[in-house]
Amino acid sequence: MGEHLLENYAEVVAVALFGIGFTNLLLQKNMIKKIIGLNIMDTAVYLFLAEKGYISGHIAPIVVNGDLSPDTYINPVPSGLVLTGIVVSVSVTALMLSLTIRLYRRYHTLDLDEITMRLKKEGL
Amino acid sequence: MLLPVTFPILAGMVLLLKKEFQKRSALLFYVGGVLVFTAAAALYAIFGIREGVTLFHLTKTLPVYFKLDAVGRYFSLTLVVVWVLAGFFSFEYMKHEKNEKRFFGFYLIVFGVLLGLDFAGNLITMYLFYELMTLTSMPFVLHTQTKESIMAGLRYLFFSFAGAYMALFGIYFISRYGTTLNFTQGGVIELSVLQEHSGLFLVVTFFMLLGFGVKAGMFPLHAWLPTAHPVAPGPASAVLSGIIVKGGVLAVIRVVYQLIGVSFLRGTWVQTAWIALTLVTVFMGSMLAFGEPVLKKRLAYSTVSQLSYILFGLAVMQPEAFSGALLHVSAHAFIKVALFLCASAIIYRTGATRVEELRGIGKGMPVTLWCYTIVSLGLIGIPPASGFASKWHLAMGALDSGIAVFSWLGPVVLLISALLTAGYLLPVTMQGFFPGEGFDASRFENKEPSYQMLVPLLVFAALTILIGLAPNPITDAFLAFAAQVM
Amino acid sequence: MEIIRNFPCLSILLAMFSAIISSALKGRWARRLNTFVVTAVGILSACTLYFTHVTGKSYVYVMGHFPAPFGNEIRFGSLEAGMALFFCVIMLLSLNGGRHKLRIDIDPAKENLYYIMVDLLLSSLLALVYTNDLFTAYVFVEINTIAACGLIMIMESGRAIEAATRYMIMSLLGSGLFLIGLCMLYDMTGHLLMSNIQQSVREIASSGTYMIPLLVTIALIVVGLAIKSALFPFHAWLPDAYGYSTVSSAAMLSSLVSKGYIFLLIKIIYRVIGFDIFVGSRIINVLFVFGLAGMIMGSTSAIRENDIRRMISYSSVAQIGYIYMGFGLGTPVGMAASVFHILSHAATKSLLFVSGVGLTDVSGDHKEFIELTGAGYRNICAGLAFTAGSLSMVGIPLFSGFISKLLFSQAAVQSNLKMLPTLIVLAISTVLNAIYFMKTVIRIYTPVESKYESVSVKKNSLYAFTLFCFIALNVVLGMCSQPITDWITQGLSVFA
Repeated sequence: MGEHLLENYAEVVAVALFGIGFTNLLLQKNMIKKIIGLNIMDTAVYLFLAEKGYISGHIAPIVVNGDLSPDTYINPVPSGLVLTGIVVSVSVTALMLSLTIRLYRRYHTLDLDEITMRLKKEGL
Repeated sequence: MLLPVTFPILAGMVLLLKKEFQKRSALLFYVGGVLVFTAAAALYAIFGIREGVTLFHLTKTLPVYFKLDAVGRYFSLTLVVVWVLAGFFSFEYMKHEKNEKRFFGFYLIVFGVLLGLDFAGNLITMYLFYELMTLTSMPFVLHTQTKESIMAGLRYLFFSFAGAYMALFGIYFISRYGTTLNFTQGGVIELSVLQEHSGLFLVVTFFMLLGFGVKAGMFPLHAWLPTAHPVAPGPASAVLSGIIVKGGVLAVIRVVYQLIGVSFLRGTWVQTAWIALTLVTVFMGSMLAFGEPVLKKRLAYSTVSQLSYILFGLAVMQPEAFSGALLHVSAHAFIKVALFLCASAIIYRTGATRVEELRGIGKGMPVTLWCYTIVSLGLIGIPPASGFASKWHLAMGALDSGIAVFSWLGPVVLLISALLTAGYLLPVTMQGFFPGEGFDASRFENKEPSYQMLVPLLVFAALTILIGLAPNPITDAFLAFAAQVM
Repeated sequence: MEIIRNFPCLSILLAMFSAIISSALKGRWARRLNTFVVTAVGILSACTLYFTHVTGKSYVYVMGHFPAPFGNEIRFGSLEAGMALFFCVIMLLSLNGGRHKLRIDIDPAKENLYYIMVDLLLSSLLALVYTNDLFTAYVFVEINTIAACGLIMIMESGRAIEAATRYMIMSLLGSGLFLIGLCMLYDMTGHLLMSNIQQSVREIASSGTYMIPLLVTIALIVVGLAIKSALFPFHAWLPDAYGYSTVSSAAMLSSLVSKGYIFLLIKIIYRVIGFDIFVGSRIINVLFVFGLAGMIMGSTSAIRENDIRRMISYSSVAQIGYIYMGFGLGTPVGMAASVFHILSHAATKSLLFVSGVGLTDVSGDHKEFIELTGAGYRNICAGLAFTAGSLSMVGIPLFSGFISKLLFSQAAVQSNLKMLPTLIVLAISTVLNAIYFMKTVIRIYTPVESKYESVSVKKNSLYAFTLFCFIALNVVLGMCSQPITDWITQGLSVFA
């Protein structure tokens, strides 16, 4: 087990980061920290994907000098997935931030649990 | 054949959705017309039609299918007689209750649903109408809309649903292992299959018995009955107690005799447990009735006890007991309806509900009390009224069955319960006619109800005597039927 | 007939473009466009359904001119087309049923935003139903989440925003798990197209080398989608999200959004992992247990609830438990029962939400039961519809709920080990259902001298018509279930 962990350090780091992000998103009370957790989680996935697509010694998949041999370039698909993923994560983050702003304007706090408590007190 | 089932249901719905009638007589005319017409159509179906009818297919293997056999005919005949007579009784009685239109609307719907239940030719159809029966009879219990009646209604609903779903369990298994779901004499499951899964099927059958037994007020799930029946308006509690509980009996007959098969169940722990439960119920129901001061509640407890007479007869699984049990179905239906109608007539005219308020009632309402007395004698089992014949057959069958302890314990319990029955029914008569020295019965002067109420009572009393005098056509028919299923 | 092959792709694009156009339109026109698009997509799906049903095959539509291992694909059979049609019908009915409420709940300036979200929701649902590419599925899962979040927060009350935030957080957790699972699957197989993944997964499974990673991957994907579709114990967000949003949103969320995820899960089970491998894994037992727990816990929470909307929401938790329980049985029959229950629950739950709002309207907008007393007399059609929905939920024959219970138990008796727990829990949950739904029905039909006004049927004919359609749909599902189950079985057989 041990030697595999060391060999695949990038994956290990990615999964560890994913775990950190996941717990933050789940357990933090502060909305901003939650969003940071979300971004860590997403970034961990991109790291994982990028690592999967990388082939040692190859260059970025941009055709130069008409060299079309597959031995020159890295796998382009994961890079494409990362790009798509970033788009998704940006829009989600934006939505979350806008929600946070709304909540802050109304309740002047970022603590989600406190907001819930207050709502319950209002009896709405 | 579909007509008697669908017509009253539709007519009832129309009545519910319609605006109030201008005149009360128009409402009564409408209801009366529908009742008579349905009764005629039902009678034609009962006596004229032999083959089955499929209404539509629920799924490929589950048609909604109607077919009448001897049991179905007998049940539906009882139903028609009682329903029409109690309907005419309620024309007068419902004057003093509110929401007449709703009452009659549901009265018609339940009529159709019950006919559907009796006509059902397979398990799934029966289950369908069984559920509908629970739902549509619920408004009877809720009718007065007091806190008490709503609680009783909820209780009725939950007990019934719990029972129905215990039974639904069994339906799944039977449809899985059985060759068909149509009622077939002697069972639908091959004996080899049954024996292979015998443990499973015994449990399933027991669940179905308990489940359908809810409706028939069998111990331990009887608690809803004494609260639900008395809160309904008089005629409704009469049909609840006299007819609707018989739906449970019918379902039990179908399951035990026509789906699972007697040969498999005889001598198993299920039979033993079932007999034990029925005997407990018979005894307990009578005891509770004995100690109950409110007349309608007393009658409801008596229903608990009497229904288990029938179930006992079925549980013994012996031809003579079987025919006795079925005889008791109609006997009890007529008697119990008559008793409840008497109680309602008394409430209607005098407002008295408790037994001790009825002292001297015989001076003012002699005909009502005479009817009460005659049918009471029937329920106790004194010849020549009908209860005697059915109980005689029950006891004989039990003695003949050769099931260890129960072959003698059963009749003994029946006898004790009969004495208790006398103990809780007859004091009304005694004190009613002989209030004692110096009792002032003037508040009951001239309280005799109108003919609309008296005629149904007299008919029921007459029927009780008639069945008591000539029970043989019925018992012979069911001895023949029993020979087929056993 | 060849042209019909283009219809699925066309309907996705149609919905998406209408969302873009709507952003430039006034609220009223956005609404009309939306109605038109939903109807059009419904018709297109109906054509596709007819076409695929007649041929009995499933078709692959290549997007852009890259063939199989690289390009993006749409794949459709009769099951997909039927689902799309059904979603359109429910969406149209839910929107119509909640129309009068929308006018009150939403700022008129923002009305077009609402319809943008609905259009987006429709397009993402269609994409989830049709796509054959895992990563596309992920992207549309996120779009679906965003659209759903928009539908919840459109009310702009504090409660709604808080509910939307909670919903968003839980959904993001779910999609994060789904995404990482998907990437690991891509890592192991090197494919993104579902059919190609399946081949590789079979090789992996038969060689037995990567069994643990495969199991982890399956678990991640399944748990991710389970969170998003609110399987017990991940249901905490659901009652708020359904309870405090406007009624059309609640109806669509419960009957479409969560069902879209479940449908994606079915697709992954059949087409990505392979049904036999999925059944062979132990995850199925976990789903089974959680499904059973959900059936009980959802109902008990619903019984304790004093708010009609939240009660209906909790009952969704129970119903989703049924669906997962059907997965957990691990037989094709159980699967078919689950698919039927998706339909039946979608039809019933949106009916309940829509009729529930009719009842609260005539009770001064109070959702507490005590205020609802007698509401069935004040709004007759809502009362009738609520009763019909309740009867279906309780499982009275003639309504759709009975058939799904029947199918579940028929599936259950085929399995020796899972038979007893299933049947017992089914019975308990049915009785619990009966308790809270019948309690409500009795409550709304208890007459009382009320201070609230009643509503006539004529005044609100669209609402009444919608409810009538819902009831009819329910009864059709309940009475003519045979063709529908045939269609489901046939659709599932060409699914993989």
